[in-house]
Amino acid sequence: MFDLKIRNALIVDGSGNPAYSGDVGINAGRISAIGPKLPGDAHSTIDAGGKAVAPGFIDPHTHFDAQLLWDGQARPALTHGITTIVPGNCSLSLAPLKAKHRMKLVGMFNQIEEMPHIAFEQGVEWNWETFDEYLKRISQNLAINVAPLVGHSLLRLWVMEDAAMQRTASESEITQMMDLLRQALDAGAVGLSTSFVDMDETLQPVPSRYADIHELESLCSVLGDYGRVLQIVPEFYDGDLTVARVDQLADLSRKYNIPTTFSPLFVNSDNSDAVDKVMARVNEQFATGARVWPQVQTRPIDISFSFAVPSLLFIRFPGWYQIMRFETHDGIVAAFSDPARREALIAEAARLAPLWPRLILRQVNSAENQPLVGKTLAEIAEIRNSTPVDVMIDLSLEENLDAHFLAADMGHNDNVKVASLLNADNVHIGASDGGAHILSFSTYGDTGYLFSNFVRDQQAMSLETAVRKLTLETAEIWGIPERGLLQEGYVADIAIFDPNTIARGAEYYVQDVPGDGSRYVRDSIGVDTVIVGGEVAWSASDGYTSAARGAILPGAEQRA
Amino acid sequence: MSQADLASVRRSILPANGDSWESIASRELADLDNAVSLLQSWNLHVFMRPAAPEGSARQGNPILPSDVIFLEPPAAS
Repeated sequence: MFDLKIRNALIVDGSGNPAYSGDVGINAGRISAIGPKLPGDAHSTIDAGGKAVAPGFIDPHTHFDAQLLWDGQARPALTHGITTIVPGNCSLSLAPLKAKHRMKLVGMFNQIEEMPHIAFEQGVEWNWETFDEYLKRISQNLAINVAPLVGHSLLRLWVMEDAAMQRTASESEITQMMDLLRQALDAGAVGLSTSFVDMDETLQPVPSRYADIHELESLCSVLGDYGRVLQIVPEFYDGDLTVARVDQLADLSRKYNIPTTFSPLFVNSDNSDAVDKVMARVNEQFATGARVWPQVQTRPIDISFSFAVPSLLFIRFPGWYQIMRFETHDGIVAAFSDPARREALIAEAARLAPLWPRLILRQVNSAENQPLVGKTLAEIAEIRNSTPVDVMIDLSLEENLDAHFLAADMGHNDNVKVASLLNADNVHIGASDGGAHILSFSTYGDTGYLFSNFVRDQQAMSLETAVRKLTLETAEIWGIPERGLLQEGYVADIAIFDPNTIARGAEYYVQDVPGDGSRYVRDSIGVDTVIVGGEVAWSASDGYTSAARGAILPGAEQRA
Repeated sequence: MSQADLASVRRSILPANGDSWESIASRELADLDNAVSLLQSWNLHVFMRPAAPEGSARQGNPILPSDVIFLEPPAAS
């Protein structure tokens, strides 16, 4: 007798081996039998009707750290077949964190991950300091598995206070950081994240960037004791710098016998050669025995913005970014309304003249401007006998800054090149940024897009390879045992989906962030049922369930 | 494949504690005239960054301990 039996399945087991027809039996949260026409009854049965049954997908680059405090289902990640998320990337986690540093961290999350202040104010009860306390806090009602990274910037803040953003650490401070990292790993952290590019809310480098190589090596020696992962954000905008970081990671990987990963690696029309150069170096370093996994996202880059909140799209325009970042709502309106300041902004925008005409007016509130929604700024400029940048400013003023614009297909949209990367042996599919940049783009649906675009439309990847990349390969890179494969004895994290229809839905704006905040999300298409730890966590027919079988991975008991 | 077999890439270093343009130039590029200017031109990702604020331990020095500093120009494309 099974607890749960999935019948009539197309089993895509995560190994990359050919799919086959069969059943999956589950007992006590684990796969207890798998194969054709399994005998035996079950307390509960799902007729998959020939749909694909695969291990639950693992999303290795997210920032759900805050959302998990008010939403243990990490909506809508589960609905896309994702059963495990990795938060704490880019040197930022929510622990360890002393009470006096809370607002500093909120500022960094706001600047780097575009998470609104008010979401923290309204959605977070600050009742932890240590990493262990944070994990206990989010574990209270967890429906999705969490493999948390601990952020290097947090270790520095805890140990060095304000000096974390001023200087290198002393030997004593490094020793304290190593101890703190051990505590986080003992509590269940999957590894350490650091950043070489990010800036805080005052546009100063984040604490991790003040670490010298001795400090980083010391922390990696601790990771080596536990066999855990180092994640970094390299200077992804420059090929030579990224190659230098690949070499740095390779040295750390070999010396301390740790897996390393960097994200993101984008393909743009102006950096195609750079990506080739980076991948050539990655492949060479793998051949020496190093493990340096570039993370590549599946989706093209689309960025939405309004002038009500800062957008990283404008970081290349200091005049614009300064007012978005540091001015109040009224201050921005005043800047746009002042002829001299407006003229200066328009002059600065001219540096990237091709961008503005192709922006699309995405959303407005006024009835007068509704007919313009969906048009490009070039089209609206023609109607108004104006220029695209003037139109963008005017619409923003007319809508009290609540006009939303879309910069679509900004890069990473060369299907041939991206498919080649996604298929590469040494490339890790990831970098979704789930839970971050919530007012710039939907970070959900990358898994559906992998299947719809690269497996079906481009026919660039087999179904089995796509599943392996999202499951077993990711579990192995991150040292997550007993997940990512449909095999007897493995934990029953399972996604059931129709391989002929799975896709990402259209991006839309929803008001479900604490403090009456909004965000962009996408629904899944073609995902039928998602099972975590043997229990149905979400199904297309019934929605979210009350199941709370999510676990912290690899977990406190796991040590290499 | 051994590390000795790796293809050559653009030469770079990670700064030593307290390094400045001048200290890197004198240590790594002692045989070059205008070494500081050359270093800065090869490392615009650092040179164009605002210097550390007044009162900071790194006041006036934009180089961070985690930076990659190139010791030669990019390869001709």
